[in-house]
Amino acid sequence: MKLRSLSLALMAGSMFAANAQADSVFVGHLVDYTGPTAFVGTFYGPGVADAVKFINANGGVGGTTIELETVDYAYKVPDAIANYKRWQGKGMVAMQGWGTGDTEALISFVAKDEIPVYSASYSAHLTDPTGANPATKKPAPYNFFYGPSYSDACRALVQWAAGDAKEKGIEKPGFLHTGDNHPYPNAPKEACAAYAEELGMTVATPVVVPLKPGDFKAQCLTIKESGAQYVFMGNLGGSVVSLLKSCGTVGVDVTYMGNVWAGDYKTVESSEAKQIIFPSSTPFFGQDVPGMETVKAILAGGGGEVGDRPTHHYIRGVCSAFYMKEAMEWAKENGGITGANIKKGMYVKKDWVPAGLEGVCLPSNWTEKDHRGLMTVAINRGAFVDGQVKIDRIEEIDLPRRDDWLGQ
Amino acid sequence: MGHVPNPRPAGDFRTSYIGDTALFKTRFEGRAALAIILALVIAAPFLSNYVLSQLILIGIYSIAALGLNILVGITGQISLGHGAFFGFGAFASAWIVSSFGIPAIIAIPLAGVLTTAVGMIFGVPAARIKGLYLAIATLASQFILEDFFARADWFSGGVYGALAARPSIFGFPLDTDLRYFFLVLFWTVVSIVAVTNLLRSRDGRALVAVRDHYLSAEIMGVNLTKYRILSFGISSFFAGLAGALFGHYLEFVSVEGFTILLSIQFLAMIIIGGLGSVYGTILGVIFVLLLPQVMENVAASAAYLVPALAAGKAYIKEMSVGAAIILFLIFEPEGLIHRWRVIRASWKLFPFAR
Amino acid sequence: MNTELLLQLLINGVIVGMLYGVVAMCFVLIYKSTQVVNFAQGEFLVLGGWVCLTLVVQMGLPFIIAFLFSLVFMAAFGILVQQIILRPLIGEPIISVIMVTIGLSIFMQSLMNWIFGNDAKRFPDIFGSFSVITIGGLNVETAYVMSLVLSLLIMVVFYFFFRFTRHGLAMRATAFNQQIAQSLGISVKQTFAMAWAISALVSGIAGVVMGIVSAVSNSLAFVGIKVFPAVIVGGLDSIVGAVVGGLIIGVLENLAEFVDGEYLHIGNLYTIAPFYVLIIILMIKPYGLFGTKDIERI
Repeated sequence: MKLRSLSLALMAGSMFAANAQADSVFVGHLVDYTGPTAFVGTFYGPGVADAVKFINANGGVGGTTIELETVDYAYKVPDAIANYKRWQGKGMVAMQGWGTGDTEALISFVAKDEIPVYSASYSAHLTDPTGANPATKKPAPYNFFYGPSYSDACRALVQWAAGDAKEKGIEKPGFLHTGDNHPYPNAPKEACAAYAEELGMTVATPVVVPLKPGDFKAQCLTIKESGAQYVFMGNLGGSVVSLLKSCGTVGVDVTYMGNVWAGDYKTVESSEAKQIIFPSSTPFFGQDVPGMETVKAILAGGGGEVGDRPTHHYIRGVCSAFYMKEAMEWAKENGGITGANIKKGMYVKKDWVPAGLEGVCLPSNWTEKDHRGLMTVAINRGAFVDGQVKIDRIEEIDLPRRDDWLGQ
Repeated sequence: MGHVPNPRPAGDFRTSYIGDTALFKTRFEGRAALAIILALVIAAPFLSNYVLSQLILIGIYSIAALGLNILVGITGQISLGHGAFFGFGAFASAWIVSSFGIPAIIAIPLAGVLTTAVGMIFGVPAARIKGLYLAIATLASQFILEDFFARADWFSGGVYGALAARPSIFGFPLDTDLRYFFLVLFWTVVSIVAVTNLLRSRDGRALVAVRDHYLSAEIMGVNLTKYRILSFGISSFFAGLAGALFGHYLEFVSVEGFTILLSIQFLAMIIIGGLGSVYGTILGVIFVLLLPQVMENVAASAAYLVPALAAGKAYIKEMSVGAAIILFLIFEPEGLIHRWRVIRASWKLFPFAR
Repeated sequence: MNTELLLQLLINGVIVGMLYGVVAMCFVLIYKSTQVVNFAQGEFLVLGGWVCLTLVVQMGLPFIIAFLFSLVFMAAFGILVQQIILRPLIGEPIISVIMVTIGLSIFMQSLMNWIFGNDAKRFPDIFGSFSVITIGGLNVETAYVMSLVLSLLIMVVFYFFFRFTRHGLAMRATAFNQQIAQSLGISVKQTFAMAWAISALVSGIAGVVMGIVSAVSNSLAFVGIKVFPAVIVGGLDSIVGAVVGGLIIGVLENLAEFVDGEYLHIGNLYTIAPFYVLIIILMIKPYGLFGTKDIERI
């Protein structure tokens, strides 16, 4: 029993040592570099970290440096919560989060503690800050993310599919959702199916495909049997690659549409897919837009974890960090950098593009009643042709800001 | 389960049966336990949020691990599904609150009762099988329950999880970690006393008899089926109680939190702490909870010398858990509590012992 | 009822089930001769896959040489694990033995993730292994068909090994009773080491095959969990039972997918059905279909 009190004393001692310095603010950063979502986590996480490094090297937030602590929690929700508690004790003003599981678990904590969270989970549940939509289970006043929600991205894909089907002359196109029985793949499941039905598509019974890669021939046979022409893949990384491979073997001839995390050049490359349609909310690395120079500078000065050709997840990480930074700037001039002020800072600008990232981060609007920052979805087609990955932007869809879609 | 040295000092003879079954072996032990509880109560308001949250987690995991220790350490059964029962308790409490409007403070023990029922159902195969077959049967129950959580919208809220608001006592909300800490402390103490008490009762001795040799126990008149299922029930009760406390602490119950890894973690806690020992369980919980955090710091400082280690921090953290299990089983199969007894004995016998 | 789909799923089930059978066999081999249940069997599979892949992709070795080398490596690894980790635990209660292999699996999983990375990596196209063969209307990777042949071959070799060779006999004797075997002049230590070596080697083969078909990644380790229903169905100490159990589980999960997709629409019956079957079998026949009932005396 002595051990217990001894370890307590040790822990207590270590707490006093870590006091924040005068002119810096503390931001916690959850990443998954080693867990089930590491396939994309190893791009998004460095995006945030490198951007913060760049911000600090260029004057910080009006002279205040951002002290960022990055923790790889390997997608374990209890670990995320333990770290959150520890950070909260260190006086965290904002957090850069990651997955659907932990972000949703932290909703009520961050609301109570007034700490804005910029998650990489784009679950539509996080977009209703006041619970204005009666269907919202739990309002999420302190949750933000950059980009369209999973539901909105999927709706855009469905809208594109409906148009594509009309062009191809398919009478009654079929839509099918695949994904694991898991919060992340399921996030857009119902919303997207409802919209597909609204657009006159037949919605087939969803097929459960595990989030871990494997041999999915049995599932592919079911997909083939369903007769759907447009298959949405809610999983990411290895699982999507496996599904494309297995279905290729079995001979399932459909149009595959991926979630934003399921589509990047690495997925196309390793699956050697004939075609995969996926949404995006930034240009790809190296594309000719004014803000790309800043992204290149961030990459050059960064930790170098992502090589010289990061996927667009890296760029979304950069945008997420910059929106936070500009909100902090406003907060600093209006009463100091606190969680509550950062939240207010998010509502100030209209059609907001962070300075230096023109063309990279798309104009976004957050309001006190609506946290759907972006309703514009770019639709891309990735293909593996002659040993080369080819990605084309095929359409840009502006979704209406419908009230019944808020938080759903 | 191996040889445990007699913790009693020489010359301290038990002269009555009552003395032999006392809750605390020595008077000092009782005072020390009381002093630690008092110290925790007094110190709590001055602890940082982080320390408090660690203490709460230690309390919650201790309750669940105690339950597992009854099953594994005392009765000699094996369960690879304890994490799922822990999860069941968390969902059950949230479900009781939201469906029946019963206050959370009452729902927490009720969830334990509900989990007892489920544990007994899954314990039925245990009446017939043992050892490895039982291990695999409980592994199956782990996967079946996990699947059930993700599917049963009416019960668990499906994949979106369930909300579990913090309880309140007579209108006094336990909404800060400090207030919640006292609730967890209360249940931890109750559980420790209950388990210690169980061990000195007729039922406790029957469970130990089942562990030591089930056939001999049966011949001596112990109803095997009854006690095997009973021990599943008791262990599930503590798992459910702890799960409910965990759910209301996080205020949100997610289907992802209760995987096979959690079950393994519970097993690691009792093995590292010491099978069959109440205080060992608590030591094991502290060890397993703090080990990854300590390793994280160790790896971070080692990375200054060998930069290659920086990228492997997370892996080192995970590996340390596996390595700890292996090393303890090879070098200290009786757990930390045994080490503690050895240290205590050598202090007492100084300079006659190493 | 859609017979064509059913037939295709059944064929798929048999092919996959055969591989489960091979892995289950490795599992039973260790259990039968050393009374150890190896919860790290899945990790053995993954390790075999990774070693072979690394040799092919990074060292640029021809596949056959890399394959043979990884088999040698796996055999050595099996012996090493037995020597270092399991020998000190001889005579300890079963929970300790189970936990030590669980600890090993956690340790190996994170170490492999660290060394080999945690995304799925594919083998290059070796001898047209990605080409497709049609069996009964179902397209199957050539590698699978080869693995089918290989699995049958391994099973035949196992049969002859145990039936006719000296070491096989020694192993059976050890499995029957360690003390009697020792008094007959059989080196039990050697036999233990050999059981682990063979088991690791054969899991390595299975790992390479599965790696070729569906990329090498840590998720291959889940096969190690799926093997439990298979060995329980077959009975923990029956090698024939393991193969039959593997086939049953392979067919069962595909059948579950059929029933699920066509009628029930529940979702992942594919993954979960084997575990329900496991519980039911244990309720009816506590020692599996082919296992021997344990008779204990005081």
